[in-house]
Amino acid sequence: MQRARFRARDTRAAWGMLAPFLVFFALFIAYPMVMSIYYSFTDYNLNTANFIGLRNYERLTRDPVFGMAFVNTCVYALISVTLLFFLGFITAAILNRGLRGVAGLRMLMLYPYATSMTAVSMIFLMLFDVNNGVFNKILRMMGAQPSNWLFDPAIALYCLIFVNVWKNIGYCMLIYLSGMQTIEPALYEAATVDGAGEWSRLVHITLPMIRPVALFVLITTMVDAFKTFEQVQIMTRGDPMYTTTTIVHQIYQQGFSDFRMGYASAMAVVLLVVVLAFSGIGLRFNKTYA
Amino acid sequence: MHSRSVQAVPRGDRAFRIAQGMFLMVTVLVMAIPLVMMITVSLQTMPEIYASEFKLLPAAPQWHNYADAMRNGDWPLYFKNSAIVSAITLVASLFINAMAGYVFARIPFRFRQAVFLIVLIGMMIPPQVTLIPVFTMLRSFTLFGGRSGLVNTYWGLVLPYIAGSFGVFLCRQYYQTFPMEIDDAAHMDGSTRFQAFLHIYLPLSGPVFASLAVLKFAGTWNEYTWPLVVTSGERLKTVQLALTAFRNEGEIFWNQLMAATLVVEIPIYLVFLFAQKHFVQGLLMGSVKA
Repeated sequence: MQRARFRARDTRAAWGMLAPFLVFFALFIAYPMVMSIYYSFTDYNLNTANFIGLRNYERLTRDPVFGMAFVNTCVYALISVTLLFFLGFITAAILNRGLRGVAGLRMLMLYPYATSMTAVSMIFLMLFDVNNGVFNKILRMMGAQPSNWLFDPAIALYCLIFVNVWKNIGYCMLIYLSGMQTIEPALYEAATVDGAGEWSRLVHITLPMIRPVALFVLITTMVDAFKTFEQVQIMTRGDPMYTTTTIVHQIYQQGFSDFRMGYASAMAVVLLVVVLAFSGIGLRFNKTYA
Repeated sequence: MHSRSVQAVPRGDRAFRIAQGMFLMVTVLVMAIPLVMMITVSLQTMPEIYASEFKLLPAAPQWHNYADAMRNGDWPLYFKNSAIVSAITLVASLFINAMAGYVFARIPFRFRQAVFLIVLIGMMIPPQVTLIPVFTMLRSFTLFGGRSGLVNTYWGLVLPYIAGSFGVFLCRQYYQTFPMEIDDAAHMDGSTRFQAFLHIYLPLSGPVFASLAVLKFAGTWNEYTWPLVVTSGERLKTVQLALTAFRNEGEIFWNQLMAATLVVEIPIYLVFLFAQKHFVQGLLMGSVKA
């Protein structure tokens, strides 16, 4: 029980050793976080900042471009997350059976996750290219009508979603797989003895056992999807007709192209609220499971 | 699981297995095509790329595309920039994070829980939210950086990378598995907390450092948004930014772009190939949080 009261030299050592981290944390996370909220109530434009109350937020509700960005981001997040959630689970369930070549398959699924979004965007720009792209060449070879892909307002956003799913599915698979490997083999053996087939073992044992892991996949992919920017900036710049612009893309546009930094900060606060809400839900459920 | 081969395969399971085989085949194709086509296009001539028919392999590999791509811009400089930024980030953040992680894991002091909670919340704040304030703050450091402060300097590029608190979290988790007796023994020997960290904990940090280093390196090397915001011109251009320059020219030389894309990601792929274990471990350690 000698640790019940805090020793003075421990306290000194603790703050001393935390100091470098806390300085960076305060300078680059805490202070900017507060300033972001402050700017959102001003007309900050890199030179002057006048307090204008809630006018930025009011304007957000009337801004059709931000409206589109918000809806696009939600659609992007919802579809990406749903696909990653299920496809990740299915691939993990298959890989968990220890087939031959699992190591190679795992690597094939993970390399897109290791690749930068910039590089991934470049590869898919090439594949989606209307005139010389691989996808249209394959379509023409099969006698089908080539598509305009990223230039078609009806499907451009879905092309970006596909790229996102392609890049991140390996990560989801990996997290699921780690959850599956903690399940006792005895459970499966008992179920097999009781006559449970492969499908019912999956539904009645694997699925309930990995619920906390599934929740983690859900939250991280959701938060990640709401932060989408690089793909948009590199592949479409929000075109055609704002059908692929996202919240962060608008923050960048308003903040660093038009220098309406107060207005862009209001968008950033909206993003923060959404992301913290999802993270909060995740933390809460995590506690109830643990 | 092992007794499966003895039993007859129920009919439902056969359908299950066929579906699974088909799913696997499609997955392998979808995951592999972008990689294969990146390599193919990087070795094709422009007339081959302009031709309308689909070719899986280049007619005659044009290896000089790689040399041509690397002459398109000052690539040695871009690689140097990315390497320096990644190296500084790696060394500084590992040491600072480990020291803070040690404090949270081992030294009892008054506000430990409260400070750690703040760190956890900080982990959830998306960097996109603080983009504008961090930029304007660095711009205001005119004392060190001249008229535009630390914007468009190495410091401005590197410092925000060092602030992440994910590493603190990982190191804390890792150090908590060490027996408390280590610290008591060090205390008996008359060493301070800092000495105990430096001489006992740090040398035993190999595994957690390996995972953290791989993740940090991949994160810094692959970063696009922050260099886009804080640098301009050639002098501080990173490899990811340089890649996007191929797109800004009138005619896109897809073969050179794909060659450069591959070259830019080679360091990542090498790390991924030889340290896949640590890469995977780092991802998983992050997933079992809270």
